[in-house]
Amino acid sequence: MRIVVLTKPVPDPASGGERLGPDGRLDRSNSPAVVNGNDEYVLEKALKLIEAAGEGEVILLTMAPDNGPETMRKALAMGATRGVLVTDPAIAGSDTVATTRIIAAALQTLSFDLVFAGVDTSDGVAGVVAPGVAALTGMPYLSYAASIDPDEGARTVRVKRITADGYDVLEAPMPALISGTQALGEPRYPSLKGIMAARSKEITTLTLADLGIDPGTVGLGGALTKVVDSRPPAARGATKVVRDAPDEAARQIVELLAERRLI
Amino acid sequence: MASIWVHGETAGDGSLTKLSTEVATLARSVAEGMGGGDVTGVVVAADPGAAAQELAMYVPKVLTLTEPATADHAAGMIVAQRLAALIEAQGPDIVMTGAGSEGRDLAGALSALTGWGVLANATAVKGAPDGPVATHSVFGGKLITESALTDGKGIITVRPNSVTAEPAGATGQVEAATVSGELQQPAVPIVDRLDAETKAAQIDDARIIVAGGRGVGGPDGFGLIRDLADALGGAVGATRAAVDSGWIPYSQQIGQTGKIVKPQLYLAMGISGAIQHKVGMQTASTIIAVNRDPDAPIADFADMIVIGDLVEVGNALLAELRARSG
Amino acid sequence: MAQVTSASRAQGPFRLTDEQEMLRDAVRVLADDRVAPRAAEIDRTAEFPEDMRRLLADHDILALPFPTEHGGLGGELLTVCLAVEQLSRACATTGLILAVQELGSLPITLAGSDEQKARWFPKLASGEQLIAFALTEPEAGSDAAAARTTAMRDGDDYVIDGSKRFISQGSVADLVVVFAVTDADAPRHQRLSAFVVEVPRDGFEVTRVEHKMGIRGSPTAELAFTKLRVPAADRLGEEGEGWSIAMRTLDRSRPAIAAQAVGIAQGALEVATAYARDRQQFGQRIGDFQQVGAMLADMDAGTEAARQLLYKACVEIDAGAPDASRWSAMCKLVAGDTAMRVTTDAVQVLGGYGYIDEFPVERMMRDAKITQLYEGTQQIQRLVIARSLLGKGD
Repeated sequence: MRIVVLTKPVPDPASGGERLGPDGRLDRSNSPAVVNGNDEYVLEKALKLIEAAGEGEVILLTMAPDNGPETMRKALAMGATRGVLVTDPAIAGSDTVATTRIIAAALQTLSFDLVFAGVDTSDGVAGVVAPGVAALTGMPYLSYAASIDPDEGARTVRVKRITADGYDVLEAPMPALISGTQALGEPRYPSLKGIMAARSKEITTLTLADLGIDPGTVGLGGALTKVVDSRPPAARGATKVVRDAPDEAARQIVELLAERRLI
Repeated sequence: MASIWVHGETAGDGSLTKLSTEVATLARSVAEGMGGGDVTGVVVAADPGAAAQELAMYVPKVLTLTEPATADHAAGMIVAQRLAALIEAQGPDIVMTGAGSEGRDLAGALSALTGWGVLANATAVKGAPDGPVATHSVFGGKLITESALTDGKGIITVRPNSVTAEPAGATGQVEAATVSGELQQPAVPIVDRLDAETKAAQIDDARIIVAGGRGVGGPDGFGLIRDLADALGGAVGATRAAVDSGWIPYSQQIGQTGKIVKPQLYLAMGISGAIQHKVGMQTASTIIAVNRDPDAPIADFADMIVIGDLVEVGNALLAELRARSG
Repeated sequence: MAQVTSASRAQGPFRLTDEQEMLRDAVRVLADDRVAPRAAEIDRTAEFPEDMRRLLADHDILALPFPTEHGGLGGELLTVCLAVEQLSRACATTGLILAVQELGSLPITLAGSDEQKARWFPKLASGEQLIAFALTEPEAGSDAAAARTTAMRDGDDYVIDGSKRFISQGSVADLVVVFAVTDADAPRHQRLSAFVVEVPRDGFEVTRVEHKMGIRGSPTAELAFTKLRVPAADRLGEEGEGWSIAMRTLDRSRPAIAAQAVGIAQGALEVATAYARDRQQFGQRIGDFQQVGAMLADMDAGTEAARQLLYKACVEIDAGAPDASRWSAMCKLVAGDTAMRVTTDAVQVLGGYGYIDEFPVERMMRDAKITQLYEGTQQIQRLVIARSLLGKGD
């Protein structure tokens, strides 16, 4: 079984260095990149599936203007087989429409049974690329997976999709595109063996020319949306620290709630 | 004159979601800010009538499209195709949807089918003469950005609790629409439906959330959290630590890999406020924390922190609240 | 015209690779979660921590120094040192398990035949077997060439008689690399040969395990050899090559001791810093007093300097620098002295609390001292460096 996992390098949420440059794009020099948190869950699921099957490949697909290989290394260290990196300076500043087109085009160069994606990314939190890629490639789309169960013999896959009331169980033939959540299970920490083995794993690089995409239609110039302003969030007021005994503390809480008309 | 469409999202029972009433309210103010324009609701469902009637309280006109396939197939891709066809026929400029899982699936597919850009996950949208301007919170809330469409056309997804829903005052007209043609994208059947592990109130758009973290100590400790939520008329949330320990289901997890919420009150019991959780609740209007550790990160951004044992303080608060309600 | 300064072999600006950073972080997490909680008990009971050895084996940490074709991970010297540093931060004894595995196996790496490597490396890489390095004797410490243990050729065997002292992990090792005199009349540095002794074996005895100031969980043994027979096939390299093998080994193993020292210093710095943040006297936290702040600053700067020198030394040695001995001696000299100074200051910052075993700094100070003593005393390191500067006199 061959599973492609879409991974995105995002600024490390723990680092705090994110800021936009003068052109409204992320100033990537200021924050270390890591693999998007949600992507790690689907990657872990993909690894578990091929381990259970005893055979198969997990292929990482990443689109990045420049620092793709570094973040790919960790995912390769977790056990992915190889990586495909779409990289081109013209990609910088791409909006979700361009990203979707580029990834869909890259998928056309690969053969696979399943494509996994995280439901959203910790930087933009848009959550629209995965369904867009499904629409462009004509694959069945199964989203917000809490569980993924492929049946290789029948060439179908079943997904428990998280809904407001519980779960819808969806079924589709392969190849299919599935977006997944934390509910799929905790990602493994790369073993030393995995870390050392990662250095010799193959990363194929594709440019926009390889994909037949006109650079003018992507990147900052091709974007259909643009950032017009950015600012740090408004500061919250000072914190009132209450050290009184529980009864008195409770009274102070209720006073604040009443003051703010919450009760 | 701009033409704004509002997608009316339906819940499992066919009713309109609260989020859609908020989006509709927002759409009206965006149209106004753009110097006037018409706002039309669209409901695509197996039985759109009830949702359309309710949406009509918020917008002057609602189009309905009956699509039986949505009853027992994954709806997002189907609705997107029908909506794309309607857009082709009727030529609106902007489509606004919710930014929950349904809205995002729809928006993503619709963007690919129409080629339109997406202003995603907006916490606010205002109308300007040049077009709508959406506000986003990115990088886990460390930056606020404002974005606009470059092409005049686009899709906007809107987060819950960005505005308070307000009916329009007059009831709009509901009109049935039709589109022809086969669905081109594969339809994914729903082969079964399962209930959630527990019947907990949805936190996505809750006005008040009482959340428990590692400090709660175990599944039994969440009894106090639930009691507090009930007393305040709110929903129960949890941190990743509590979910990973199996004390409470993932559907109630708040944070980077769970849900991002914006309630009016967030009462954090035994929660340290580490970054992965902070990004899920930091925009709540009022944040009150109860924690034994005065150096917990949450002390930096809460409106009030009570240093104490969460069980003692929680029980005292419960007593106070119950005494007040008589 | 002035001479270009140092003959640096390594190319490019220095930084850790992604793999090295990942590896360092992975070992750090393991050290914090599983090793640190055991450190105080290991010191108190002075028992060799079998569970730590199993932990390192299970996580492939002991595989780092060995080539991949024999089940190892093929780590460079810097990679091994990163792991030793992170482990030693939590527990110097545990860090030493990896350092000694590398020390003991280096003679085989440097002088062993392919057959010998294939025979011994797999079980060392898996951590199933431990190896020790037996050079020092009661009368031959700094003057290692003055060793008296003899190895007499007898048919297809050698018969070894003598003793070794202060052998790290000598009582728990499965293989012991023994340096013995095969030609008493040869020139000084050609008298010795190296043998890998598989134990237990007739004629091999652990006669003593020392009670030490520090690294108390690491058994330091006295070994006695009485008509100990080893096959000639277990000799490493040629007869008379022993001294050279030992010196080349130390060039590559000293950085691991430097790594242990840097780790110990870092651990002590972290405890002292946390204490200075929390402890309040005279109405403020003690870290804000200049005398304490200055001490912490010097501890931090010193530890970082020792660390950077260590990393640079590793890179140079791996790149085949002709002055590898100088790099090796310098990093061990600086790191050992730094660890002693930083841990002593850490005790000082904690005041009375630093002296009692409720806090780990007194143990760290006791642990640090050995890094100024073994694998060549600081005085020997200085000798090596001075000789390198001045050029060999004779």
